[in-house]
Amino acid sequence: MTTIQVHRLTKQFGSRRAVDNLTFHVRPGRVTGFLGPNGAGKSTTMRLILGLDRPTSGTATIGGRPYAAADHPLHEVGALLDAQAAHGSRSARNHLRALATSNGIGARRIEEVLEEAGIAQDAGRRVKTFSLGMRQRLGIAAALLGDPGVVLLDEPSNGLAPEGIIWIRELMKRLAREGRTVLVSSHLMNETSSFANHLVVLGRGRLLADMPMRDFLDTGNQPRVSLRTTEPDRLRTILARTGLTPVRSDEDRWSVEGTTAEQIGATAAREGIPLLELSDEQTTLEDAYLALTAREIEEESTASTTSPTSQET
Amino acid sequence: MTPTAVLHSEWIKITSVRSVRGSLLAILLSTVGFTLLAFATMSESDRAGNDLLAGAFTALNFGQLAALAFGATAMSSEYHNGALRLSLIAVPRRGLFYAAKTAVIGALALTIGWVTTFTAFLAGQALRGDQAIGLDHPGAVRACMGAGLYLALMALIATGLTALLRSAVAVLGILIPFTLLASFIFVDVSGVAQFLPDRAGQQLIHQNPTGSLGAWTGLGVTALWAALFLLIGWWSIRRRDA
Repeated sequence: MTTIQVHRLTKQFGSRRAVDNLTFHVRPGRVTGFLGPNGAGKSTTMRLILGLDRPTSGTATIGGRPYAAADHPLHEVGALLDAQAAHGSRSARNHLRALATSNGIGARRIEEVLEEAGIAQDAGRRVKTFSLGMRQRLGIAAALLGDPGVVLLDEPSNGLAPEGIIWIRELMKRLAREGRTVLVSSHLMNETSSFANHLVVLGRGRLLADMPMRDFLDTGNQPRVSLRTTEPDRLRTILARTGLTPVRSDEDRWSVEGTTAEQIGATAAREGIPLLELSDEQTTLEDAYLALTAREIEEESTASTTSPTSQET
Repeated sequence: MTPTAVLHSEWIKITSVRSVRGSLLAILLSTVGFTLLAFATMSESDRAGNDLLAGAFTALNFGQLAALAFGATAMSSEYHNGALRLSLIAVPRRGLFYAAKTAVIGALALTIGWVTTFTAFLAGQALRGDQAIGLDHPGAVRACMGAGLYLALMALIATGLTALLRSAVAVLGILIPFTLLASFIFVDVSGVAQFLPDRAGQQLIHQNPTGSLGAWTGLGVTALWAALFLLIGWWSIRRRDA
């Protein structure tokens, strides 16, 4: 099985450091979400992994070797970087033929991936007549041509209609189940949480997090409970004794920070307070991500105040 | 990933884009078309005293512009919206990719170039009546073979420069004025002008090549120019981020 290894990778564009000393691994058998705002360095990192850009320092390898040394490139790695890369004057089929032929992939496989991507009936049309969603499907078809063990997709759901987004989500999960290494970048939090098992989070070119999705959500926020009760005043008095403060979050709904449904449930039962509803609030990926970036900014400001000379050097 | 497979892939890429096919065909159509036009409208006095062989290739000037356009567009289609990235994902060995691309461009331009020069020569002479010369005329076969090679070399010059500048418009904006005007500007200023790629390579369409360069040496100079531009293009493909 093939692992992508990024080691102390740095890419400088003029005075801008797009990728800053990145180290992380992408392992097979799971979908790794590559998360960060636009301009965080996700696409640059993918280009560096594929040997398209030259790193300023550091290395990126696939299965222990730089991609440029691959013997059977499309059988090892499939990638979608930019759905616009297909020349508008070529038919979709000819676009795939040109790619497939260079790697000795036959016509039958081309029809298979066209079918899989749901554009078989439009394959004879010129790419310039395609919608963004169809180009995206063509790009994914191209990535699947060589039945590769490693798949890199840069913002694959761009321009896709809802059913397309569901299709690509299920496809990525399936590829991971089949034991492939899947790295998918996105700047959309909720979408990423729907398919990724593992996260690599970038911010301004630097690694902010590299952990399983579950752990990332757990580190994100304090536990929080949402509840409804017929006796809010009594519950508030009782909870105040243990240092908890319910806050009204809705008409008759209360939210309590720093505790779990298990604890509140036990307390309420002991005191005989009727609860109409009680649940642990799920931390969303968005919450966890914002908490992470907030901590990051905090650390940065403390770092800059403790070392004021760093600006002068 | 064999060289044959990559050559085949480049063949599909180049022949599946209409504008590239169009500029290839334009080499033939413009040369033959202007040859016929020239001979159909030229009066007896215009022809008198001219180099009959060079006269047969008057329209080569138009063909070479089409050859430049073909070399530039065939390469520049890699620079639309990251097409080059996709090409290099399929063929990460940049040397193999570039060699296959230039080989297919060169081979296509040479084939069409030869079809063009022989067709233009024979079709043109068919309109000349009494003054017609045949392929048995001294230097005629040399001129046809050489002019075809010359067209292919001009296409490769444009290919190499496009790999550097990454835009067909920029390349044609430089090369077309250069080939149209430079020779007129530098004419007889010094011996240097005869070493310009178009001047040197066109020696062999003359009955008696002038200047210190001979027919084939002149084409050799053009070949050196093409090699230089292809090397510059190779440097660009190899060194720069895709």
